[in-house]
Amino acid sequence: MSNAYLTYAAKRLGQAVVVILLAYIFTFVVVSILPGDPITSVLRNPQNGFTEQEIAEIIAAQGLDKPIIVQLWNALSGFLTGDLGMSMRSNRPVATLIAEVLPSTLILASAGLAVALVLALLVAYGTRFVPKKYGQGLLRGFPSLFLSVPNFVIGLMLIHIFGFQLGLFRVINPDSFWATFFAAIALGIPVSAQIAEVLIANLDKEAEQEYATVARSRGIGQARLFATHLLKPASLPVVTVVALTIGELLGGSLITETVYGRTGIGSLVQRSVSTQDLPVLQAVVSLGAVVFVLVNLIADLLYPLLDPRVKIVGGRKRSPTTADEPSIGATKAVAP
Amino acid sequence: MSFVSNPSLRGSGSASRFAAFRLPVTVALSLLIVTIVLAWSLAPSLFTSYSPVVGVPADKLLGPSFAHWFGTDHLGRDVYARVVYGTASSVTSALIAVVIGVLFGGLIGLISGFLGGWVDVIFARLVDVLLAIPKFLLAVIIVTAIGFETINAAIATGVSAVAIFARVTRAEVIKTRQATFVEAAFLSGGSRWFILWRHVLPNASRSILPLAVLQFGESILVIASLAFLGYGDPPPASDWGLLISIGKDYLKWPWLVYAPAFVTILTVLSVNRISRWLRKTD
Repeated sequence: MSNAYLTYAAKRLGQAVVVILLAYIFTFVVVSILPGDPITSVLRNPQNGFTEQEIAEIIAAQGLDKPIIVQLWNALSGFLTGDLGMSMRSNRPVATLIAEVLPSTLILASAGLAVALVLALLVAYGTRFVPKKYGQGLLRGFPSLFLSVPNFVIGLMLIHIFGFQLGLFRVINPDSFWATFFAAIALGIPVSAQIAEVLIANLDKEAEQEYATVARSRGIGQARLFATHLLKPASLPVVTVVALTIGELLGGSLITETVYGRTGIGSLVQRSVSTQDLPVLQAVVSLGAVVFVLVNLIADLLYPLLDPRVKIVGGRKRSPTTADEPSIGATKAVAP
Repeated sequence: MSFVSNPSLRGSGSASRFAAFRLPVTVALSLLIVTIVLAWSLAPSLFTSYSPVVGVPADKLLGPSFAHWFGTDHLGRDVYARVVYGTASSVTSALIAVVIGVLFGGLIGLISGFLGGWVDVIFARLVDVLLAIPKFLLAVIIVTAIGFETINAAIATGVSAVAIFARVTRAEVIKTRQATFVEAAFLSGGSRWFILWRHVLPNASRSILPLAVLQFGESILVIASLAFLGYGDPPPASDWGLLISIGKDYLKWPWLVYAPAFVTILTVLSVNRISRWLRKTD
């Protein structure tokens, strides 16, 4: 815990707080300033049967009659104290609605991440061992194939093959083990592509390092070389890539939950979109940003501790191989 | 004269020069597929004689055959015709998304990279914010706010891609600005805007192109996902994502899902291959 590290940590923490606040303001602006005024159009929808007086009451209760800047201030101070406002449809606190469905999504997302990690490791391991003659090129093509398949297609394929043809799970019982298992695979495959891509590139790089040549010349086998020499340095940068895929996991679980008929954040979003329940949507989107920023903050703070080659200079991380280091930095996009 | 027979020198003549320009087979194939898809979107009626909207009820849910390449759906419509006619909206909307991303992202990156200072700081925060919001959620909330139409899905996808273009353009601009020839242009009295236009922009655009192509493929996927969730044009439109979404209720007739899915995957795979090739040849 050097002084430089603490400065770096404090700086990153400050940045994260600023980004979270700005992200909240941004979603607020998107929701309230864009044309169409969905809020009153929902309320005035004759199907909902609100009288003019009720509409006025709801608008007053939500504070929608106040100037936009006051609304923003109220929403922001509520957000900071954990009050996410009221749902326009069910008249219940948004925080409660989210808390009810969060566990299911967390299970799916972590299972999806586990699938992604295992799959990425298998593919990367394969590229080290499968000879060029026997389809190493095919294995190397896997990440770009996985990136080209929409995850709802994977989900439907799995349902068709394992649910319909083999009868392994029943589609109408989305919480059974097998249904969750296949939903996690559908969610994990596109995510694994990004991880595998970086892992393969890093393994290739590490295999050409002098220490690897030395180890090979001492007669170490491929398997031991991989396990004891290459894997650790090659997988450290993956920590940051995994953190970056959190957004993918959240967005993907929205679709996967729809395909598999699971309840969760995704189905909550779906319902809120179709009923234009903007307070719920805004809360989910800004919480998504909070999760993303926090996970990336943790990854960034952990990384210099895990990898002693990374030096912190002037409050910034400097890694030994800056040239082709994949995606270092909080919110940098994944190198495609 | 032993080195003449050295095998490593073989082909150093015109043959290797030809080889240097030869397309890899997969790239040629990818270009062919993308060309066909573009042709589908420009003139769908040249590729099928069936109507994408009116079906023959007696022919409903037929399997793939010579008469109906991709089979028919629950209303007896030819699925191949539906896919071909749906291409225009699936592909043009992805193009619109990329154009939005390139224009706005490029502009932000160009200005913040070139001017630096407080402009750069402000734009950098904006880009951080855009990157922090999970892309698909951002697209969903934007399309909800502006309405469920394919064109709005394209706008939402484009906005969610602005950040990545801004970041890459900024990095390229900063790299170019430090080049000696730009310094020379400054010293010989070139104005800021002239240098920006004449030197910085062309150099930056070279690495934007592969990214734009890659983003084109990703936009196809994002827009298909939005259409799948029902946030695009409603039926009888036949966007690829919408076709798959309709097909999921008829999984006993799996070609209704697999045919449009196959076309989507093949297109995105080809686009990605072209992007990787562009990056490598650059």
